[in-house]
Amino acid sequence: MTELFRRLLRTPQGALGTGIVLLVVALILIGPVAAPHDPDAMAPLARYKGPSLQYWLGTDQYGRDTLSRLLYGARATVVMAFLATALGSIVGAVIGTLSAFLGGRADEAIMRTVDAVMSIPSLLFALLIANLLGKSSLDAVMAIGIAFAPGMARITRSVALTVRKQDYVHAAIARGEGGGYIVLREMLPNVIAPIIVEATLRVAFAVMLFATLSFLGLGAQPPAPEWGLMVAEARRFMHLSPWMILWPSIAIALVAIGFNLLGDGLRDALNPRT
Amino acid sequence: MFTFAETDRRRFIAGATALGALSLPLGRALAAVPKRGGTLRVSVDQAVTKLNPLQTRVNCEYLVAELLYSGLTRLGVNMAAEPDLARSWSYNADLTEWTFTLRDGVLFHDGTPCTSADVVASFEAILDPKTASPALQNVGPIAQVTAPDKTTVVFKLSAPFADLPVTLAYTNAKIIPAAIAKSGLARLDQQAVGTGPFKLVSFEPERLVVVARNDAFYDKARPYLDRIEVVVYPDTTAEGSALISGDTDLMSTVQPTEYARLKSSDGVNALRVPSGQFCNIILGCNQKPFDDVRVRKALALTIDRATMVDFVVEGYGTPGNDSPLSSAYRFYADQPLAKPDIAQAKQLLAEAGYPSGLTATLIASDKPSVRTQLAVAVREMAKPAGFTIDVQTMPHSTYLDQVWKKGPFYVGFYNMQATADAIFSLLFTSTAAWNETHWNNAGFDKLVGEARTTTDEAKRRALYADAQKMMHDEVPSIIPVFFDLLGAQRDYVMGYRLHPRGAVFRLDYVSLGEGAPKRG
Amino acid sequence: MSLSYLLKRCGLTAYTLVVVSLIVFAVTQVLPGDAATMLLGENATPAALAAIRDRLGLDAPVWVQYGHWLLGVLHGDFGTSLRTGQPVGPVMIEALGRSLLLAVLAIGFMLTLAVPLGVLAAVRRGRAADLLVSLVSYVGVSLPEFVTATLFGLLFADWLQWLPATGYVPMTENPAKSLQHLVLPVLTVSVILIAHVSRMVRSELVDVLHTDYIRAARLKGLSARAVLLKHGLRNALLPTITIVALDVGYLLGGVIVVEEIFALPGIGRQLIVAIEARDLPAIQAGALIMAATYSVVNFAADLAYAALDKRIQYD
Repeated sequence: MTELFRRLLRTPQGALGTGIVLLVVALILIGPVAAPHDPDAMAPLARYKGPSLQYWLGTDQYGRDTLSRLLYGARATVVMAFLATALGSIVGAVIGTLSAFLGGRADEAIMRTVDAVMSIPSLLFALLIANLLGKSSLDAVMAIGIAFAPGMARITRSVALTVRKQDYVHAAIARGEGGGYIVLREMLPNVIAPIIVEATLRVAFAVMLFATLSFLGLGAQPPAPEWGLMVAEARRFMHLSPWMILWPSIAIALVAIGFNLLGDGLRDALNPRT
Repeated sequence: MFTFAETDRRRFIAGATALGALSLPLGRALAAVPKRGGTLRVSVDQAVTKLNPLQTRVNCEYLVAELLYSGLTRLGVNMAAEPDLARSWSYNADLTEWTFTLRDGVLFHDGTPCTSADVVASFEAILDPKTASPALQNVGPIAQVTAPDKTTVVFKLSAPFADLPVTLAYTNAKIIPAAIAKSGLARLDQQAVGTGPFKLVSFEPERLVVVARNDAFYDKARPYLDRIEVVVYPDTTAEGSALISGDTDLMSTVQPTEYARLKSSDGVNALRVPSGQFCNIILGCNQKPFDDVRVRKALALTIDRATMVDFVVEGYGTPGNDSPLSSAYRFYADQPLAKPDIAQAKQLLAEAGYPSGLTATLIASDKPSVRTQLAVAVREMAKPAGFTIDVQTMPHSTYLDQVWKKGPFYVGFYNMQATADAIFSLLFTSTAAWNETHWNNAGFDKLVGEARTTTDEAKRRALYADAQKMMHDEVPSIIPVFFDLLGAQRDYVMGYRLHPRGAVFRLDYVSLGEGAPKRG
Repeated sequence: MSLSYLLKRCGLTAYTLVVVSLIVFAVTQVLPGDAATMLLGENATPAALAAIRDRLGLDAPVWVQYGHWLLGVLHGDFGTSLRTGQPVGPVMIEALGRSLLLAVLAIGFMLTLAVPLGVLAAVRRGRAADLLVSLVSYVGVSLPEFVTATLFGLLFADWLQWLPATGYVPMTENPAKSLQHLVLPVLTVSVILIAHVSRMVRSELVDVLHTDYIRAARLKGLSARAVLLKHGLRNALLPTITIVALDVGYLLGGVIVVEEIFALPGIGRQLIVAIEARDLPAIQAGALIMAATYSVVNFAADLAYAALDKRIQYD
């Protein structure tokens, strides 16, 4: 494990990605404490302000402090994206491993259906599900999770197929273990490494997708300080204060870059080439 | 018999000119002799999906319907009824029977004559619930429509009603050919057969509607324009930019956030008129906790209305006093503005049995976004008094299905109506079509009912003043802000006046002056 | 490329479309609030709602509605929009045309930039140019379209006033204006594609340049440039085709946001409007057309791959 971590930090992507992700985790943990203002407190006389000593990043349409909202919003944004990815990965991993384990016609049927579902663009799929479930952060998490599941299932299956041919699975079958036991206890643990790499990259995508859903009015709802929602709201006030739109955009991009870098770093650390 | 004829119209127009002269560009526009010809490009902020004038629902659809169709009467800028297809009208002593005389020789766009039979058929279609026309609930208590001869229409009412000529000017009360009214309205989804000042040239719901001058229009002077193109801009920023760059000539609606930018642009006149359009917080008076008037008053006392005007509409509005009549209504009664008083609000809450405050979920539909804007501000303003309000936003269809008229605590959004009676009996009397507050106050019903059947102006004013006071005191809903209506035009557009009703445009009075671009 | 393979492929596509239509149908059935409530809004009365539901056939059992719809589609009739009363099929196909124009322009723009960038990065591996390209591409993949679109709009339309902020002009009406309106949407869609594909080209090319095959070519005395272009790039581009095809799937999703922001009346915008209005026939048609496009593009990519692969084997 420490060896892996050292290898991770040796790649430039890994080091930079780890740094950004750690910073984001720190923000999630201490953000609300570090925030200089109440993120919901309105100031009728300080609306649409640019950056100043009192409001480092300026204020929004209600005179709320943008920096404080970003700090509080780190939880609303990143944790939700993380949950969505976790949900999608788990569901996808179970389907993929199961499909690989069953093999034959069942495998064929499952995978063709997964292919069919994947032909719906994930944003459209998430849009439909979010509309079905309702408008809230948790519904958006479910929507993204479900939209991610087919892709994860596909990846897990291909990894699991190689695992299935391994001796310890044959041994377990020979021992007469049940299907559930074999899938969960023998196969899943061995397909986890590639899934983690994929999931890390997907967190970046989930941050973007979650923000996009909020932007389209289907994720977090006002007055939540979710970053995508902040961009969507700020668009209406673009001519009154461009700052409002700039900061949450940068925050989203930064987090996505961090997880992308970390994912690539992990991949390199896990399969060292050259 | 009392009659209203075309001669009276001059009086109204004179009044309108005097008002208009107060603001310079409008005064100049009316003073100049309108030039004929040219193409006007109007932008709207939503797709024009419904062409059938009986079923239109949003302002841009009203705009198009008004170009293609006529009603019996139309609504002047001063909120009074003006003759349209009806030349004059009269009523009996107890206000239960109204007789309208139609103009001679009016033709539909397909060349067939428009007679009293078409008027009767149109109203039968409107009054048929299957048509699902919004006019059904808004044209007044019509019991029966008959046509004694080709140019006379008689309305028998189920109750005395003084406002019929105004309610007949309702946006959906348009006249269509009897043949279509009887054979199926579906035809009107794709084509227009009206008597309006313009004829339909092309119709692309999401993009562009083109109309051209109707040479057979009953008024030989109007319309002044040869052609109008109604262009759809789903993005308001883009809509504003198109006006600034000169791609369009007139913007029917401007968002408060765009107004300042348009106002400071060269060659653009920003238009603004106080209106009775409002957003309110509905307090279900039949459910806990808002069945207690003290709780309602406590919440009302937390709202800083002057600040709300800034928060919700960037200052382009007037503070409200929990009565739906703004200064734009004829029977508006001035009252001292409710001031926020947190201490008193706390005390009222304690008296009502909530000494440690109370928690409630305030629901806001996502359309238009101003609903959420208001809800979030109310949440913060009510906090110090002990209200813990959780704001929940939902899709408009879910809201209509599950919350509207049912929920105890949500944000409403309503257009200005033509008369005081229309807004009261649409929303607040116990027999109101949309009685969402369930206030059911007999005293209030009596006042509104009496005013309905009173023609004496001063008496009516007194009755409506009492009704407004009553709403202010008992707060069936919190009406914190009235929105000004905002628009914008290029400076060469002549004769356009923003109408406080929001749903009326009167583009047949518009012409193009010096400096207008030549357009195909 | 055997006949049975082709048949299997077609069968799979048909299966895909059936699954998609079932999912969309199931989802829209449980959406709260139906088309009738949306159509009538606040003016809904029970009688009016019943009349509209009756006219639109919303009261029939679900499977009857689905069967009815499926039968229509098999006859090439996607039904009429519950919102506008116009036939859905032609409207959606026309919208797809606008989206495809956007997609083709974006892919074209992407290829002219992404391939040279990828090659540059691969050739100068580990040096400043490589780092710069990879930095830019990281930023590119990490910006959601709505952020890029908004920032582009703010910069090019608002501050510099070079380009129109949003809107759409048909090619037939005014080609110059039409292109002007397409610049920002194309730029926005291209950003992620360029980032993605340039990284792909780089890593494939790096791998290929290390193979014995290239070393052999070098030893044969071919110039570095010839080796790179003739052998390296061709082999590196092969997997890129598959990636581009997969990106079409992304592209179809991405255009939803981009079209919404730039008010481009393509299939993505139509879908958003349809979902909001609970306009089932329009949602169905839109989703099916998107899924079909995706299937067709992937099929085409597989064919292209196979064809190119063969030639390389015989080379």
